[in-house]
Amino acid sequence: MAAAQQLPGPQDLSDEQREAVEMLLHRLADDEFVIAERYTEWQVRAPTIESDIAVANIAQDELGHARLWYDLLEDFGYEEQDLIWERDAGDWRHSTLCELPFDEGDWADLVVRSYLYDEAEFVRLKALEDSSYPRLRDRVEKVLSEERYHREHARSWLERLCEDDDTRARMQDAVDRLLPYALTLFSPTDDEIEERIDELGLRTENLLSMRESWLDEVVATFESVGLHVEEAQLPEQYDVHHADFDLPDETGRDQTHTDAWFDLFDEFTKSYRELGRHSAMKIMKDPDDE
Amino acid sequence: MDLETVKERAGPREFSPKDEMPEEYRKAATRMIQFHANSEIMGAYLERPFIRQAPSLERKLAFSAKVQDELGHGQLLYRAAESLGIKTRDEMLDELANGQGKFLNCFHYPMESWVETPMIAFFVDGAAMRRQATLKSTSWEPYAHAMDKVCFEEGFHVKHGEAMLHELMTGSKKEQEMAQEAFEKWWPRIIQFFGPTDKQSTHHGFASEVGLKQKSNDELRRAFLNTYIPKAEKYGLEIPDTPTIEKNDDGTYNVAEDELNWDEFFQIAKNEYEPGLGQIDGRKKAQEAVAWVRESMDSHEQRLYGGGESPQAAD
Repeated sequence: MAAAQQLPGPQDLSDEQREAVEMLLHRLADDEFVIAERYTEWQVRAPTIESDIAVANIAQDELGHARLWYDLLEDFGYEEQDLIWERDAGDWRHSTLCELPFDEGDWADLVVRSYLYDEAEFVRLKALEDSSYPRLRDRVEKVLSEERYHREHARSWLERLCEDDDTRARMQDAVDRLLPYALTLFSPTDDEIEERIDELGLRTENLLSMRESWLDEVVATFESVGLHVEEAQLPEQYDVHHADFDLPDETGRDQTHTDAWFDLFDEFTKSYRELGRHSAMKIMKDPDDE
Repeated sequence: MDLETVKERAGPREFSPKDEMPEEYRKAATRMIQFHANSEIMGAYLERPFIRQAPSLERKLAFSAKVQDELGHGQLLYRAAESLGIKTRDEMLDELANGQGKFLNCFHYPMESWVETPMIAFFVDGAAMRRQATLKSTSWEPYAHAMDKVCFEEGFHVKHGEAMLHELMTGSKKEQEMAQEAFEKWWPRIIQFFGPTDKQSTHHGFASEVGLKQKSNDELRRAFLNTYIPKAEKYGLEIPDTPTIEKNDDGTYNVAEDELNWDEFFQIAKNEYEPGLGQIDGRKKAQEAVAWVRESMDSHEQRLYGGGESPQAAD
């Protein structure tokens, strides 16, 4: 793909450019924030102290990434309370994969979900390495370097839990349940804005093409460890250009969410509301100065 | 080594797994370190829900890191305890799950609101810091070594706790009132953190004779109050009337200990305090729910390495 024209800094974008940048950043930030929120449920509940510490690390990495992306939204004059604490729950753009609750003890869900998510994250970050928006592009490498460990972690658990029939059956259940939701990672927010994101060169691969790369990778990996995707009702599983994908009713991207999201939102904004806060305290250095 | 030699030699970091230690020493050290390790785990268990409730993104990050650190301390301390050859880590974790494992009084109380978080992260952790700093010169070297790392990280935790308290006490009037209320609830428990007076403490004598324990409960409590009463007042907290605390001419404090609820304290010490049981059982239930994963890891290791000694878990 020909290198797109470089976009200027946040203050000099046209309204249309800015809208596209904001939408892309929301896709990134909301996903990271919400999936991290779910991951923290495993803290002090994972199978061993070691796996507990590992999942806590990953949750913190994702929260750190959310912080980097929200910070870029703050370039446009928003403050943290506008982006998180006082935002309407129905405005969030994260994929519904991120918001689903974990059943107690369902470590297979954690492994499959983080595997699906981390592979998708890898694909989309690769498509941002040459983004036309420098503020975003400059932060991709740091995020990518941390994602590498996440993928290794997810993959080694995936392989391990597929070694015997009992645990593989649990993994298969998780795949069947989660794969349709994982597809929403590549769902459009708004068709016109998504097109504009591509045209402006904000990312170098469009959603359909990324979904194809991702599916090639995850389906092949699942099959190599004895997991099957046909149960997951992917009509033409490899033909990602097929129009009738069985997506869940709620994709998140278009601001439709499962009930679990509204409960989660209530929980994580509880103290903020109870304390009657009107802003979020910053306690770390600005990411630009780190 | 006989007990007399142990008592003669008892000094900072004097003994290590290279020494043949008498069983009495090994048991006393195990009891102490296991208690400490359990407390890390149960403290983390108590605080974990507040990662979700943190009122800012960066506080959430700091809170998650703190809880993770506690787990890491637990891991380190169980290892130091294991090195005494009395119990394995799995045995200690099982004891914790089935209600035999003992841990700090403060971590038996449920925590309901964000305003309670600095009560743990500033006052309880501050109290723990006092004790832990003295344990850097405990006679069991692996324990003292663990304390180096633990104390280093606890320094950050106390700062995190202090910052949360500061935020609340410089916030709205409502926040200040809520924090004061939480302080009144937690204050007596925090004073009891150091346990009963030395004359009531059953394990103190031996542990200090063999150099495991460096300072008495009374000394630690006094040192804590000397530092933390002024700090609490600095942030605008009012010290509750009960227990009565008198300031001496030399700036130290006397606490009317008999005004504290020691029945509750000893009930807690036996793991028989009803609300605390909810936390013990809650953790047990969470651990049982992932037993299938641990079993699968065991058979994975069997496949890889055959029988015999199982290696350290990979991650």
